[in-house]
Amino acid sequence: MTTIVLRLGATLLMLGVAPAVLGLVTRTRALLTGRRGAPVLQGYADLAKLLRKGAVFSEVTTPAFQVSALIYLVTTVVAAGLVPFDGRAALTGFPGDLLLFAGLLAAGRYALVVAALDTGSSFEGMGASREVMLGSLVEPALFLCLMVPMLASGQLSLAGMLGSELARVWTLEAPALVMSGVCLFVLLIAESGRVPIDDPATHLELTMIHEVMVLDHGGLDLGLIQYAGAVKFTMLATLLLGVVEPRGAMAPGVALAAGIAGLALVAMAVGVVEAVMGRLRLNRVPQLLVATAMLATVAVILVLH
Amino acid sequence: MTYLFAGLALMLAGGLAPLLALHRPRLADRIYLVLLGGGAGLAGLPAVAVLVNRTWADVSFASGVPLGPWSFGIDRLSAVFLLLVLGVGVATAVYGAGYLREHRSRREVAVAHLLFAFLIVALACVVTARATLSLLVAWEAMALSAFVLVMFDGERDEVRHAGLVYFATTHAGTLVISVMFLCWHAATGEWTFDGFMRHGAVAPAMMPILLLLGLVGFGLKAGMVPLHFWLPGAHAAAPSHVSAIMSGLVIKTGIYGLLRMTMLLGQPPAWWGWLLLTLGTASGVLGVLWALSQHDLKRLLAYHSVENIGIILMGAGVGALGMAYDAPLVAALGMAGALLHTVNHAVFKSLLFLGAGAVVEATGTRDLEHAGGLARRMPLTATLFTIGSVAIVGLPPLNGFVSEWMVFRALAGAGLAGTTLRLAVFGVAALALIGALALACFTKVEGALFFGRARSAGAGQAREVGPLLLGPMVGLALVCAFIGLLPGIAVSVALEAGSLVAGAGASAPAADVMRSAGLISGAALALVVAIGVAVVIRRRLLSGRALERAPTWACANDLPVSRGQYTASSFAAPVLAVFGPVSGVRLDRSAGVLHTHPGDAVFDRVLRPAWRKVSGLAGLIRGLQHGRLHIYLLYSVGTVIALLVYLAVWRP
Repeated sequence: MTTIVLRLGATLLMLGVAPAVLGLVTRTRALLTGRRGAPVLQGYADLAKLLRKGAVFSEVTTPAFQVSALIYLVTTVVAAGLVPFDGRAALTGFPGDLLLFAGLLAAGRYALVVAALDTGSSFEGMGASREVMLGSLVEPALFLCLMVPMLASGQLSLAGMLGSELARVWTLEAPALVMSGVCLFVLLIAESGRVPIDDPATHLELTMIHEVMVLDHGGLDLGLIQYAGAVKFTMLATLLLGVVEPRGAMAPGVALAAGIAGLALVAMAVGVVEAVMGRLRLNRVPQLLVATAMLATVAVILVLH
Repeated sequence: MTYLFAGLALMLAGGLAPLLALHRPRLADRIYLVLLGGGAGLAGLPAVAVLVNRTWADVSFASGVPLGPWSFGIDRLSAVFLLLVLGVGVATAVYGAGYLREHRSRREVAVAHLLFAFLIVALACVVTARATLSLLVAWEAMALSAFVLVMFDGERDEVRHAGLVYFATTHAGTLVISVMFLCWHAATGEWTFDGFMRHGAVAPAMMPILLLLGLVGFGLKAGMVPLHFWLPGAHAAAPSHVSAIMSGLVIKTGIYGLLRMTMLLGQPPAWWGWLLLTLGTASGVLGVLWALSQHDLKRLLAYHSVENIGIILMGAGVGALGMAYDAPLVAALGMAGALLHTVNHAVFKSLLFLGAGAVVEATGTRDLEHAGGLARRMPLTATLFTIGSVAIVGLPPLNGFVSEWMVFRALAGAGLAGTTLRLAVFGVAALALIGALALACFTKVEGALFFGRARSAGAGQAREVGPLLLGPMVGLALVCAFIGLLPGIAVSVALEAGSLVAGAGASAPAADVMRSAGLISGAALALVVAIGVAVVIRRRLLSGRALERAPTWACANDLPVSRGQYTASSFAAPVLAVFGPVSGVRLDRSAGVLHTHPGDAVFDRVLRPAWRKVSGLAGLIRGLQHGRLHIYLLYSVGTVIALLVYLAVWRP
């Protein structure tokens, strides 16, 4: 019973800190580009404001648009139950739950893409089209990356493959795992729509990917989408941490603290990348993602050897 | 077994009703549907009994013809396929009665109903046949009735062409399968499946011949790459309920054949598993890419059948690898995944084809670029089609996810093996790619059909279809939801049948799989309940606030009518561009226009040129044929003289 409560606590903590993690990314970027930037906790205030607002709906939209943000939020939150935030155990899990995790994220994407097409806007159609293009490259690469800890640890569940078994063999398989971590970092940037693949701070619709897809969502729905995006970022960053910083052998409290510290580091690293790089041209993005998948393939071959 | 034959006879009698009562079409339709449904219920009883009691049933008729006795029987593999055939068959038949209702006093329609009933009976015989002869006869009956049904609109050029290609292909397939059985008989001296089973492994030299002949024969029917070339044309040309049964059931007999062959031959060589896995991966990835490039709704769905056959073959391939490398759990899981995905695909693909039929009926076009905004005009069809789409993409909480999970679990489990088997783990990445591309494809279809504004007058005046068309779709959608939300029963049945095929008694690890199925069920239910609760909360929260309706945001411009929307072609273009020439599509892009011209890589680039070469060569000897009898007589005399000379000179 206590273990369940503890695991539930860890999952809730992950859901709670998510906006702050994104806040840290933006703050790092601002500081490095010579601005002061918004406080790290600004995300919570924005969220509170958006959740209190009314909304304007497009005349063209159907009920599919009304439920899209909810589906995105719920699938993301349910997926969070499979992620080991403390690096030891998730709320639930079973051998092969990786497909459920990816399937839930894909279901959320499906809802947002369909909602974008529901508006009949060519901007949003364009964003949705780019989103599915990125998705078709990210998803296989994500599986290849997570194959590495799976094969190294011999565990088929998400929490298991990042748990104590991995900590035991980590030094043996370090090269492959580090390569997988590097790839996961690129995928994290791609999935959360950050520079150099997408830029959440851009102001021109034609250059956006994720943001333009949700152009017609406003108020409550926009708040939910932004929050779910933050949770998605935190989950993927947690998986990345699990691969490069195995915490399965640490004491529970230490593992949790190390996890939060690691999360902050990942967020700052993303912020640094945002500060020092410009956006890639859209036709270069597939090259980056395919290269990532190739690197992940090499990592899988290393660990299979 | 008596129930099976009584049920099938009842279904055939039902098929005769529309023909016998042409002047009372209403009554005839009712009799047709009642007898078909009742017959299917009766015929399904022994299959249910086999699954529940874990037994099997058998019957054999001695026959005077060569090629052995006529045997039929139901084991767990047959039972699963039989229930599938009866269920999906009746659903599509009901839809067919609604679809053709306006023309039901025409003789052709009555004949079509009879043939449809005949096709279902033939399919039921294919999956219960237990001997070479009964299988081949049922196989031909199925192929021929399907051919006539495909040719229903035979006055159109497109249909005649597709029908011809299908006819030639299916006979080539039957020929190959017949040769396979003859070889099998030569190796074992047996004609029945029990005989093959008793004989066990064949000589090592014979094994590859049987496996490859079976792969070509059954693969042609299943539509795996590169033998899929007949499929998109035939499925698109047929009336929608026929497309549904073709894509849902007829191509699945190819899978049944492959599974049955694997079961009877026992442990296969490892190369066979690798071959199946490779072909499955190729079918999956290429099928979905080619689907993405289509704008014709029904051709698009047909290419998705190629994709899903690919996923099924990946499951069967990893299962065969598990058998070859003595990994019983991988073997059972792979085969079970293949089997469950076969069932699932039959259900959601027929749902999608029926939905496509409803859209075509309402808008008068199969072109995605001429639809749009149908969710408001046909909300029920849109909802049901969405259920089919989410299921085929393999997303939780629907059935496609469950079977893809089983295949994934088998591939991942293979990765942990100590042997070469672990290389199969790369299949996981292919599975992920297929899933992501399927998502791209079905969001495109949904967006183009149901959302945004209507792009043509036909789409702007569409009406929701009637209950005879919606009813079967509701039934199929419920099956999708049932298997997705409560996968326990389906997974355990699939596991038992899968271990039967794999020849493994994987019972202890199966408990682990069942536990996972329970958790998947929990997650799926949690998802549905949470979304329901969230909808209620959101409505409460928004109820007191300022809500407005306004035009879609277009950077403060007014959108220039419906043509300003993103088209299906533009939506797919970036993905297709990433995959370049593999996607088999020609892009014409300029400042003002984007045209995509999908073609079939195998049919247009290999088969057609090859055929042209062959017919060019044949042209060389065309001069010999001119229809003048006396010259033909001269040929015969010349031949006889040549033979005499041959005998006189070269024979002692």
